[in-house]
Order: sequence, then C-alpha cells, then structure tokens
Amino acid sequence: MKANTLRYAGVMTLALAMAGCASGPGGGSIYVPAGGSSSRDEAPEPPQTSDRGEEPRVERKSEQPEEPVREPEYSSPSYQDEGDALSPAARSLIQRADSLMAAGDTQVAVAQLERAQRIAPRSAQVYFKLSEAYVALDQLGSAEQFTLKGLSLAGSDSSLQRAGWLLLADIRRARGNVAGADQAEARAGAL
Amino acid sequence: MKKSAPPRKSPKKNSRKGKSTRKPWFWRLFLRVFFIGVVLLAGWMVYLDAVVTSRFEGRRFEVPSRVYARPLELYDGASVSSGALQRELELSGYRAGDGSNAGTYRRSGGHFVISTRGFLFTDGLEPRRRLSLTIYGDRVQDFRVLSGDSSPIVRLEPAQIGGIYPAHKEDRVLVQLEDVPVLFTDTLLAVEDRNFRDHYGIAPLSIGRAMLANIRAGRIVQGGSTLTQQLVKNFFLTRDQTLLRKGNEALMSVLLELHYEKGDILETYLNEVYLGQAGTRAIHGFGLASQFYFGESIREIDAHQVALLVGMVKGPSYYNPRRHPKRALSRRNLVIDVMAETGLIGEEQAARARAQPLGVTDKASYSENRYPAYIDLVRRHLARDYKQEDLQSEGLRIFTTLDPAIQHAAEFSVKDMLSRMEGGSDTVLESALVVTSRDSGEVLALVGGRDPQYAGFNRALDARRPIGSLIKPFTYLTALQQPERYTLISPVEDKGFSLVFDDGRRWEPKNYDGEERGLVPLHEALSRSYNFPAVRVGLDVGIDAVKSTLQSFGVTSGISEYPSMLLGSVAMTPVTVAQIYQGLATSGFNTPLRTIRQVTDAEGKALSRYSLKVDQVADPAAVHLVQYVMQETMQEGTGRSAYRTVPRELSLAGKTGTTDDGRDSWFAGFSGDLLAVSWVGRDDNGPTSLTGATGALPVWSRFMSQVPQHGFSPVVPDGVEYHWVNPAEGALTDEHCENARLVPFITGSEPDVEVSCGGNIERRIRGWFEGLFQ
Repeated sequence: MKANTLRYAGVMTLALAMAGCASGPGGGSIYVPAGGSSSRDEAPEPPQTSDRGEEPRVERKSEQPEEPVREPEYSSPSYQDEGDALSPAARSLIQRADSLMAAGDTQVAVAQLERAQRIAPRSAQVYFKLSEAYVALDQLGSAEQFTLKGLSLAGSDSSLQRAGWLLLADIRRARGNVAGADQAEARAGAL
Repeated sequence: MKKSAPPRKSPKKNSRKGKSTRKPWFWRLFLRVFFIGVVLLAGWMVYLDAVVTSRFEGRRFEVPSRVYARPLELYDGASVSSGALQRELELSGYRAGDGSNAGTYRRSGGHFVISTRGFLFTDGLEPRRRLSLTIYGDRVQDFRVLSGDSSPIVRLEPAQIGGIYPAHKEDRVLVQLEDVPVLFTDTLLAVEDRNFRDHYGIAPLSIGRAMLANIRAGRIVQGGSTLTQQLVKNFFLTRDQTLLRKGNEALMSVLLELHYEKGDILETYLNEVYLGQAGTRAIHGFGLASQFYFGESIREIDAHQVALLVGMVKGPSYYNPRRHPKRALSRRNLVIDVMAETGLIGEEQAARARAQPLGVTDKASYSENRYPAYIDLVRRHLARDYKQEDLQSEGLRIFTTLDPAIQHAAEFSVKDMLSRMEGGSDTVLESALVVTSRDSGEVLALVGGRDPQYAGFNRALDARRPIGSLIKPFTYLTALQQPERYTLISPVEDKGFSLVFDDGRRWEPKNYDGEERGLVPLHEALSRSYNFPAVRVGLDVGIDAVKSTLQSFGVTSGISEYPSMLLGSVAMTPVTVAQIYQGLATSGFNTPLRTIRQVTDAEGKALSRYSLKVDQVADPAAVHLVQYVMQETMQEGTGRSAYRTVPRELSLAGKTGTTDDGRDSWFAGFSGDLLAVSWVGRDDNGPTSLTGATGALPVWSRFMSQVPQHGFSPVVPDGVEYHWVNPAEGALTDEHCENARLVPFITGSEPDVEVSCGGNIERRIRGWFEGLFQ
C-alpha cells in the first residue's frame, strides 16, 4: 500500500518534471568540435555567464573591438542556471523506459535510462527517472541519491526543483526519515 | 564401453579350454598371441571408448570470453567525427560498399549510409536497419532510418576488442545445429561426406566413390574420410599420418557413431573444424569463421559465402581468402558447382553466386587484444566476481565502456607528446592517461605507457606516485565547506615558514618559483598553486579533515598524516586520481569508476550488471566554488598553456601537480563530458625538467583538443550566489569597476562591505525589506 502511494507520487512528480522541461529550452552546454573550428557548425558562443540578464562579458580575441575598451584579463569561469534540455533521442529512451516500467520490466528500464543518462548526462529529468525506477525496485538508497543528483542539475527551473524535492520527500518518508522528508517538502513548498 | 567388453571375454575363455588339448604347439602359441591381442585390443577399445565418451559427455569446448567496446549510439546531435565513425565501422567489421547489404556502409564526405547487422542486447534487440546520416561539425545530423524499425536512436553492434582465451589459444563461437542454415550443412555433406547420414563412422564405399569423383573431375573434389573420421582426427589425435593413427581413427569413429546421434556428431564437427589462424589464435568452428571472414553470423550468410567456408575445410591456410584470394575463389566456385550438381541450388542462383566477389572483411573483426592496458583493468574488475577458468572457457560476453575513438585519441596524444618532450635528450619518459565519462564514471580510455600495444607494466593502474598539488583542491574544498571562515576571496598568506616537529626535525616548504607574495585571495592561491597558503589553510582546517575529505572522495589506501601530505606527498595511481576527481568534476557526487556495463552468458542472458551509482560525498555548493577556481586555473593560472592547443570555446577545469625535481608531472581536469588524468615521469623515478604544466598538461591538452565535446559549465547549485567583488579589498563592487570579478559565494558568506570604483568602502546596510526577499 505504502509502496503504491510512493510509486504514484513518483510518477506524478515526474510527469510534472517532463512537462516543465518541455516548456523551457533550458540551459545548454556549448559543444565544441575537435580542433575547435566550431564556426563551420554554428556561430561559436564564448564561455558565458548566463546569469539573469547579464551580457556575456567575454570576447574572443579575434573579435575584440579596436577601441580601447578595458580588456578583461581573464575569461570568466563558465556556469549556467539550468541543466541541459533533453534531446529527442534521450526523450525517446525515457519513453521506452516508461513503458518497460509499466510492464514491470524495471531492470531493463534501468538499462534504457542509463543509455539516456549517457547521452544526456546534464539533464535533471534523467536522474529523477532513474530515481523512480529504483523506487520501483525498492532500492530507496539509490533512489534518494539519484534524486539529489537530479536536484543538483535542476538549477533555477522551479518546476524541476519542486518535482525533485517532492520526490525526495516521498523517498525519505518511505525510508523512515521523517525530518528529512518534512525538510524536503518545505523546500518544495517554498518554490 | 561396458556393452562391448563382456561378449569378447567369454568366447576367448571357451577357445582356450577346448583347443589347448588337441592343437599343435604353434596353434597354441597362435591362439595365445591371438588371445593376448584380443585382450589388448579390448583394453585399447575400452580406453578409446573412455576417451571418446569423456570428451563428448563433459564440456566439449572451452570457449573464450569476448570483450566488447561500448556500442556507438547514433542519433541527431550525437558527438562523432566522420573519421571516428569510419574507424568505428571498420572495427566492427563493416565493409565499404553499397550500404544496402547488412554489414556494409557507403560514405561520401560527411554523408553515411549504413546497413547494420542487428544485435541482441540484453535490454532489447537492435534489429537490422539501414541508416542515413550526415556528420557536420563532429555531430550527427539528419539521422534517418531508411528501412527497418524506425527509431530516433540506434546502437551499432559493439566492436569486439579482445578476448580472454584458454591456454591453448583456440577460439570459437559455438553454434547449435538448428542455428546453421540447412543449405550450409547440406553443402558441407555434399562436399565432405555424402553418405554421412548412412554410414557407421567409416565408409569404405565412399572412399571408392570419392576416388571416382576425383578422377572424373580431374582433381580432388572429395576426400575419402568421413566427417566422423575428420572430427576424430581433429578432436583426439595428432596430425601424423601413421598406420596406428589411421587404425585408432577408424576405431574411434565407429565408437563415436555407436554412442551418439548423427546430429550430435555433425554439430560437434561444425564447432571443431579448424579454419584459420589469427596470430597465435586458432580459429575453430564455422561460427567463428563466419564472423572472422565475413563479420557476420553464420545464420545470415549467402550461398557464395557458404561455399567459401565449406571449401576452406580442405586447406584453411592454402585457401585463405585474405592471403590467397585467387585460390580461394576457384575453390569456392568448385563448391558452388557441387551445390548446383546436387540440386542444393538452382543453376541461376549458382551463376549469381559465382559472380559474387569473395566478400571477406579487410581485417579480421575478431582480432587479438588491441587494448591490453584497458583489458587489464577489465580483468581486474572481473576478478571481483568471476573465476579465471570460467572466463577462459564459458564463452561469456563482456560489455565494456571502452570508447574506441577516445582510446585512439588518448594513445596518439601520449605517443606524440612524449617524443616531442624528449626531443633529442637521453631521458626516457613514460606516461599514463585515464579518461572517464564525467557524469557516469565509465572508463572510456586507458593508456598504461607510451607503447599502447605493450601488455607489460600498466602505469595507469600500478604506478603509485606522489600526487603533488593535485591534493590542493581537496584542502581548499575542506576549508570552503566552512563558509563562515573561508570564501574564495578570503585573504591567505603566501609567506614562508618552518615547522618544527617534536623530534626536532624541521620542515620548510617552498614555493615553486621561490617567491613570496604576502596576502593573496584564496582563489588566486589555488589557481596559481602557491604552496604556503595551501599548507597554512590545510593546517588550519586540520590534516585529519583533509584526509577525511580525500577518503570520502574514494581514497582507500593509507594517507600520511605529516604536514607534507598537504603538498601531495601522498602516493596514488592515475586511476585513483581519476576516481577522486570524479567527485570534484560532478557536484560532489562520488561515482565509482566502471569498465564493465554487463556480463552475459554465451546465449546473451545477463549474469551481472554494473549499474551507474552516485553518492553525494560533499556539499555541492562548496564543490562549485572549487570548480570555479579550477576553471580559473585554466584561464589564468597554472593550466593556461592548455589553450595553446585547445580551442578557447571549450571551457575546462583542472589542476596541475608536480613533485620534487620534476619526478612526477600530473594533470587532472575535465570538460562537460570528459574527465582525464595524465601523468608523465620516469620509470626509475628519476628527476626530469618537467612540471605539471610542461609534462602532463601538454599530453592532456593534446588529447582534449582531439575529442569533440561539450565545455564545462556547471549548473549553479542551491545556496550559491554570484557577486561582483573586488577580491583584493574583500568587498562587493560594481561590475564596471576595475578589478571587479564575478565570484560565487555560499549564500550569506559574501562580503558585507562594498567598494566603489573610486575605492571608498561602505558598509552595506540591508533594508529589512531587502532581507525579506532574499
């Protein structure tokens, strides 16, 4: 009974997470071909600080303007506010995993999710899905860790954050960690 | 054998009784000799029978384990260069061709059409498909499935990269009779033994018939021995042509037929027959031969390929299609004639088959271990769960995480950079390089020395060397986990000192450049790898605390508690360094390194899975701050020379390490996708003129520049905020001010003073309402 409720909650939060990701483009790590002549692909973006509303401050040397603008002595270390969006390929693997899980073939679903993780290692959703699979396998320790990993990539995406904290609250409660569950729930509520 | 012994005994006893009184002495002698002969023969038969049955009843074949690379995933956006895709296809035994026969591909520039053969993975079947894709900017675009089940993502069959062989080096892929096409077995019998289904192991008539057939054909098209005799010959006997051996062969053939069904004998023959040599490895059985020569399963081969394999039985080296294509072709066509004569195929089909080229792959897809250092690590991981004899004989299939393209780049980088570094000098440098996938901990490539084919000392696994400054990020991480005491702009002292131990010994650390800079912000102390601040901060947070950080990141061996550990007197192998940096590269999640995804039995049933595991061992916020400095290291610190080789757009994070007199040169760093650790030094632990930045870093950068990948750009974790600060003043400042730097802080630890561009410091007073919305 308890396990069922938990599973249900997991599926619910995940449905939400997937919807959340579908609605926003998310961050996106910069892809650089070997040797770096990325210009033949798409306009190279400089390492960026994609903080709210801030212009990337870094200019590539070749593109630096002539006028005596103060040249930054360093490139800013890069960061982003959200994990990468799921590619259609990763999404299709997650869908495959969903139907495998629905058919009770959770172990094979995990293998499909690990494929998805390898091609989309910076997407929070993949880790939440893995967490869901480990809940189904009744390996709650692993489930909790994958949720935490997903949360570390959720960044400023509040629907992903919320989904993650609720999932974490569920798992912690099932593990008997009531205080931790309340804490996670409070985090979800604050979003 | 029990059946045959008793009936022979009783008549002999009778004959001795009856005849001994009446017959002359020579008869008696003759009978005695005869009797002894019969007893000996019976004994010999009993012995042969035991040999035959034990060989058949028990495990008949020792089948080596096969080790596979990771399967290449193809989908829109997949990261692969045209060159790497072509190499991958060749490694998996694909042939350049029209791209419509399974196992062929067609390439024009960046456009590929690939006909996959299909592969049964334990998590599902990848059916045969025809794919079309274009590689542009080292990425897959316009990926389409032209025929076969549609899917946005498709796995190629994994390339076999090695095997774990029994001592006698026989290699085979077991097939069952029902897996082998009827055309194949019929052709085999038509050529080798037409009366197989009727004879009792030996067939004097067929010898005659074979002679006739050979005379009619003007050359030898049929052999006289039955399949059973051939099997016995291969299976039990040596190859010398003696009368005794011939006799034994005949006896054993009859015994074999007495005990076993025709089907069993035929199946064993199919798996036993010798069909070629690959180095020291002997190719046995049609299952492996089909893979070896065509890169295809015996289930899938066409009539002309059937004919070639059957034709080769007669002389595997003489008719070797790779070495003697002409001979092999005429032999094949002769077999096609037989197939047509005996009605196995129609004349039209025969004509088509004769018109086909030999169709063998250029290189054997099943070759010797080409990545001995990597396989070494795989074996060690396997040894945790499997016995060596099972690995050598049970035909297990081991699916590893090796990425051939990355391995290729890693081997090349080590070789190339080492010879450049040595220049003309006498110093012989050695190196190791470990590459893992940053977020999954899969070991993608491993180089154990400058000669990747050398299966000897594996430095990546066995060279335990002091890690030097590679330890510093862990010291500062320990400090930054106390945000009330340390931030990235905390002033730390770059000034010499000496420690006096209880026993009177003194320790006086030095900076690499011999300079002292006074107070410097913490981020600068780490990105420039100053020694004094590292030791001071380490002693302040406590050696125990640093040690426990290292242990939680995965160090299992002993760690010295002397202060010199803070400058990296701790020895580790490159693989261990890769393990502990995995947690720094992700946001504090320890991810056990894996080389194996799965082991299955010969039929493909999963025996063990080695799943992805993550374990949070550090506060992601504090790790984020360390990652910031490791990026700074690459941009303005000790790692900046990497960008002479690596494109600017690729953001990287890393750390150099050097030990006394340049004995060890280390670099550990990561991008968005990969983590790599390189080491350069001498096997005799002698001094070199190298530092981390001039030895290991060039190898590392050379490698990174060759692999298409994502830059490192970590997601800002909960509880971290970026602020513009003036690090020298330890104050918040305006973005446009000189010396302004955007620095991450654990929320609440940012400075509470502000400095204007003019240098006036004001205490920042937060309104109560401002605090409310924080």
